Amino acid sequence: MKELEKTKRISIAAVFSILLVIIALLSYKKPKNLYTITTKTALEMLLDKNIAVNVDILNDTTIVPIDIRSQYDYEKGYIQNAIHMEAAEVLSNENIEILEKIKANNKMAVLYGNNPEGVIAPYAVLIQMGYNNLKILKVENSYHQNQLITKNVDLEKSIIDIPKFIKGSAKNANIKPKSNTHKAPKKVITIKKSKKNKPEGGC
Amino acid sequence: MGPLIPNDLIPFEWNLVIAIIIGIAFGYILESSGFSSSRKLAGVFYGYDFAVLKVFFTAALVSVIGIFYMDYLGYVDFSMLYVHPFYLWGALIGGAIMGVGFVAGGFCPGTSLCAVAIGKIDAMIYVIGIMIGVFIFSEFYSFFEPIYDGYFYGNITLTESLNISPYWFILFFTIFGIIAFALSDMVRKKVKKVFY
Amino acid sequence: MINRNLVKALRYRYVLLAVGLILLAGGLVLLPKQEKHKGITSAELLSNAISPERYMSTDEIAHKIVNQDPSILLIDVRDSLNYQKYSLPNALNIPLPKLLDDNSMTFLNQDQYEVVFFSNDNFDADKAWIISNRLGFKNIHVLKGGLNSWFKTIINPTMPEENMPANAFEQYRFRKAASMYFGVVYPESVIQQSTEQKKVPKKVITVKKKKKSTPEGGC
Repeated sequence: MKELEKTKRISIAAVFSILLVIIALLSYKKPKNLYTITTKTALEMLLDKNIAVNVDILNDTTIVPIDIRSQYDYEKGYIQNAIHMEAAEVLSNENIEILEKIKANNKMAVLYGNNPEGVIAPYAVLIQMGYNNLKILKVENSYHQNQLITKNVDLEKSIIDIPKFIKGSAKNANIKPKSNTHKAPKKVITIKKSKKNKPEGGC
Repeated sequence: MGPLIPNDLIPFEWNLVIAIIIGIAFGYILESSGFSSSRKLAGVFYGYDFAVLKVFFTAALVSVIGIFYMDYLGYVDFSMLYVHPFYLWGALIGGAIMGVGFVAGGFCPGTSLCAVAIGKIDAMIYVIGIMIGVFIFSEFYSFFEPIYDGYFYGNITLTESLNISPYWFILFFTIFGIIAFALSDMVRKKVKKVFY
Repeated sequence: MINRNLVKALRYRYVLLAVGLILLAGGLVLLPKQEKHKGITSAELLSNAISPERYMSTDEIAHKIVNQDPSILLIDVRDSLNYQKYSLPNALNIPLPKLLDDNSMTFLNQDQYEVVFFSNDNFDADKAWIISNRLGFKNIHVLKGGLNSWFKTIINPTMPEENMPANAFEQYRFRKAASMYFGVVYPESVIQQSTEQKKVPKKVITVKKKKKSTPEGGC
């Protein structure tokens, strides 16, 4: 038992490694708010045209409106029965609890903000965590004489035909459209592949 | 959380510092396990000492099990770790040359440097041999290049290419390793003891 | 006595260690598996998504296009029909459903270009941005207001009123010049051209003022 004479070194090493494992286990925190779907399915869900709904849907009283604007805006006025949930705080414990409850009751929730563009960010985060009972309210909220005005807006609708406008401007100016639409030469985009030159090891 | 440097938990510039610290620890452990002795290293081929097999196999098992537990608990992102690229013929020919050198010289490149550090003359000759090999390789690089760069299969792992669960693979690998330890012990008892 | 017992127990130390290794490896097989999903944590994603840092204004983009800034890569996330009708100069078309294709990945997962997503407004572009942000891609931006805002501000800028501050006029001049670059013709500019043909047209050099940013840091 020659090696046993070196017990001191071995036991010190053993104690240290066990300590390390214990510290790691003690400091372990269960990760919260994990994604439940892959980016592929998330993209498919986001592509669904039905994620944005009109304000009429609120006639259905089982639907829970959720206000993601700031506290200040919420206190000034909100859609009836709306729950306040500031955009930056949607992942806080209380808010997750509320969302879980809504989901457990098989209800639908609609998120709204000052405009639909502001809602898409928290909305997209939430659906990636598996809250598939959410929708976006297609509304724009503004105040007129301290009264909350909610009006429907269209999403991703082109307001004007731009090439037509450009041509029209030339006609207005009474000249032939000189083909001076600075056609910049088509850029050839080449993406360099990252080199495979990585650290190598060996004994 | 990890790996630390790709996730910017430690600035990139610390790379070399950490490499030096790990290198010192590695060298220390090699030397203290007796790996700077060429007879001990060559023993694995003659069957009188299986320390090399045991040490490297144990290290592999401990680290693979540790990494998978850490990945499971979220300390390390397994998919971000570096996987060595696989060049089929380069690996085969290089492995054969290295094996011949290992049996004949009794060192692998890392341990030879370890042995140089404690002043072994055979190791110094061995390192000179390595230098000559490096010189030949770089002089004839254009000749060797098709093998060196060809037959590239990407950064693949065994479990990916065989499409088996890594967890089961680790279990079988562990059992296999322990059987290998037991067998090597039996072989060692049969072989006549060599004193060195 | 204790010592002897210890020695006896330690005789089996290799067996114990071997059993320990097998148990640990077996534990890995038995652990309940949960599916892992790629990407930064949801809390990080949310805080990135809330911040308006990703937005680039139409003025900024116009300035970059006019000066042929080689570092930007404009990506139109609308469908190809709309893309063919009108798009920003040199924009690439990656319709939103194709965002995660391998082909698109080469453009998104790189660090040479500043990628700018745009659509009619920024609703669809934001979706693309969130997906790519979750995957951890760097240098991705969104054109604030999209093409609608592009039209309102650059192609057809509104003249500032008399009582507006000077920089509103400056901005208007820049926007007007930019719109001319993009092909819009103004009646007054035509007259000028025909009467003062000899005069060398004034070059519009727009020097973008750098925003003052307070140095951050501290120990």
